[in-house]
Amino acid sequence: MTKAPWRTALLTLIGIAIMIVFLFPVYWMIKTSLTPVTELYHNPPHLLPAGATLDSYINNFVRNQDMLKYIGNSVVIAVGTMVLSLLLSIPAAYALARLPIKGKGLMMISILSIQMLPGIMMAMPLYIMFSKVHLSDRYAGLILADLIHALPFAVITLRPFFLALPKGLEEAAMIDGCNKFKAFTQIILPLVKPGIMTVAAFCFLFGWGDFIFALTLTSSDAIRPLTLGLYRFIGQYGTEWNNLMAVATLAALPIILIFILMQKHLVGGITAGAMKD
Amino acid sequence: MPHQSGARGGSPMSRRSKHASSWNNYLFVLPALLFIVVFIGFPLVYNLMLSFQNVSVYNLNGKHDFIGLSNYYKSLEDPVFYISLKNSAVFTVLSLIFQFTIGFALALFFNRKFPGRNLFRSLMLLAWMLPVVISGTVFQWMMSGDYGIINYFMQSLGLIDKPINWLSEGRTALLGTIVANIWIGIPFNMIILLSGLQGLPEHLYEAAKLDGANRLVQFRNITLPLMKPTILVLLILGIINTFKVFDLIFVMTAGGPVTSSTVLPIYAYQLSFSTYEFSQGASVSMIMFIILTLISIAYLRMSGKEEVHA
Repeated sequence: MTKAPWRTALLTLIGIAIMIVFLFPVYWMIKTSLTPVTELYHNPPHLLPAGATLDSYINNFVRNQDMLKYIGNSVVIAVGTMVLSLLLSIPAAYALARLPIKGKGLMMISILSIQMLPGIMMAMPLYIMFSKVHLSDRYAGLILADLIHALPFAVITLRPFFLALPKGLEEAAMIDGCNKFKAFTQIILPLVKPGIMTVAAFCFLFGWGDFIFALTLTSSDAIRPLTLGLYRFIGQYGTEWNNLMAVATLAALPIILIFILMQKHLVGGITAGAMKD
Repeated sequence: MPHQSGARGGSPMSRRSKHASSWNNYLFVLPALLFIVVFIGFPLVYNLMLSFQNVSVYNLNGKHDFIGLSNYYKSLEDPVFYISLKNSAVFTVLSLIFQFTIGFALALFFNRKFPGRNLFRSLMLLAWMLPVVISGTVFQWMMSGDYGIINYFMQSLGLIDKPINWLSEGRTALLGTIVANIWIGIPFNMIILLSGLQGLPEHLYEAAKLDGANRLVQFRNITLPLMKPTILVLLILGIINTFKVFDLIFVMTAGGPVTSSTVLPIYAYQLSFSTYEFSQGASVSMIMFIILTLISIAYLRMSGKEEVHA
């Protein structure tokens, strides 16, 4: 069954060609961010970086520090979304997978259906609710809103990890003198660490990438995240694409880092989250 | 006697501990359920109530009246509603056709064994994981009329003879957002289809090869029928997720020029947050919700049917 080496080499070459075409937008973003203003509107455009410069980064992150504030806000919101999603979803996913509770089917159906809700449908009632209970323009409000999509995803993705553990683990732990909660935290949780890492990465991403709630539930720059900063920046600077792409690249950086560190787990997370019951 | 009392004492004890154990199981789901009720259930009910009232920014803190289905009638009489509905349909159908077919082609390609395929496969996911605001901004730059790289490529290839302002012309704005959305969606379709392909039994293909079936016949007679459940679920999920797209279109065109790329979520946003007619916006949200619910029911019924089949 071994194939001729030239055939697999050809497949690899086609694969590289596909990558070049498909990832061109990501390349173009980074390339533009390094292009000096003088070269930006060169015709024909340089496909390779010509006279690369870090000017756009220095302009936007050293001289003008507004963007740093946005980055800080994004970190708070993304970490908050991640922590709160994990705190709520881990025990829930565990119970839905392994504990005898009533109404499991109904709970799973509700959690699945929440994923179908359009963000804008939640944003408007939340806007009014939050303005009445003083949650608008607060990190807490944004984090809670981001949880609407992060939490169901986390529960659905984590549950199969708990289901995959051998039956009777808890009983064995309880015979050894653990109570239910101790068995959960000390025996079960360490075994699903890969699942928790995957979900943590995705929930961070939900918080980091959120736009619609940041757009509708905030009115002051003091808590606005980088996604909104980037959007407002388009309005302000119009066609200074090198500056815009520098901000975009920096906003993409944490995602690219998470991606590099966790790429194996992420593929599993996506398929589990989308396809499992 | 001691034996008997022990037995009598033991029975309620164990019953109580059993009772306690089943009661505290619910503690695990309670926080998540509370969140869902307060921050998802309540807003949904609130949205429904708003849609029957006359709440706008002017009377938000004052008195509101129930006005029945007036908001719904008003929405259904607004020509912009139908434009949005049509744009939503076009956006969803075109995005899905291309995401799915390109994703499927790539899945078939990456299902073959060659060096580097795992790396390539996960590199593609990057496109899907990037915050949509970023992808939208990058595509906006690539599609810009004067110096956009897409015009440059298309002119070099002789596909167009003069630059097109993709996103600021009514004829092409929706198309521009669809192209960007296809790019975002391809990796997801590919990954799901690829995981389906990898679960197919290899011996069927070997038997088919022995019978002299070529790749096309194998694809039509083995791959497609076996992949049907995966394909159905993926398409329905695709419809739901594409129908709700807001960020991308908002960033790239904000629904414009005029209404040429206004889809239903953008229309609902404009009613609620540009003109602050909350109740009117709520009625459009509810109509979207009804459409999505119908699609989801179709999905549940189909996936139920598939399970019975299996």
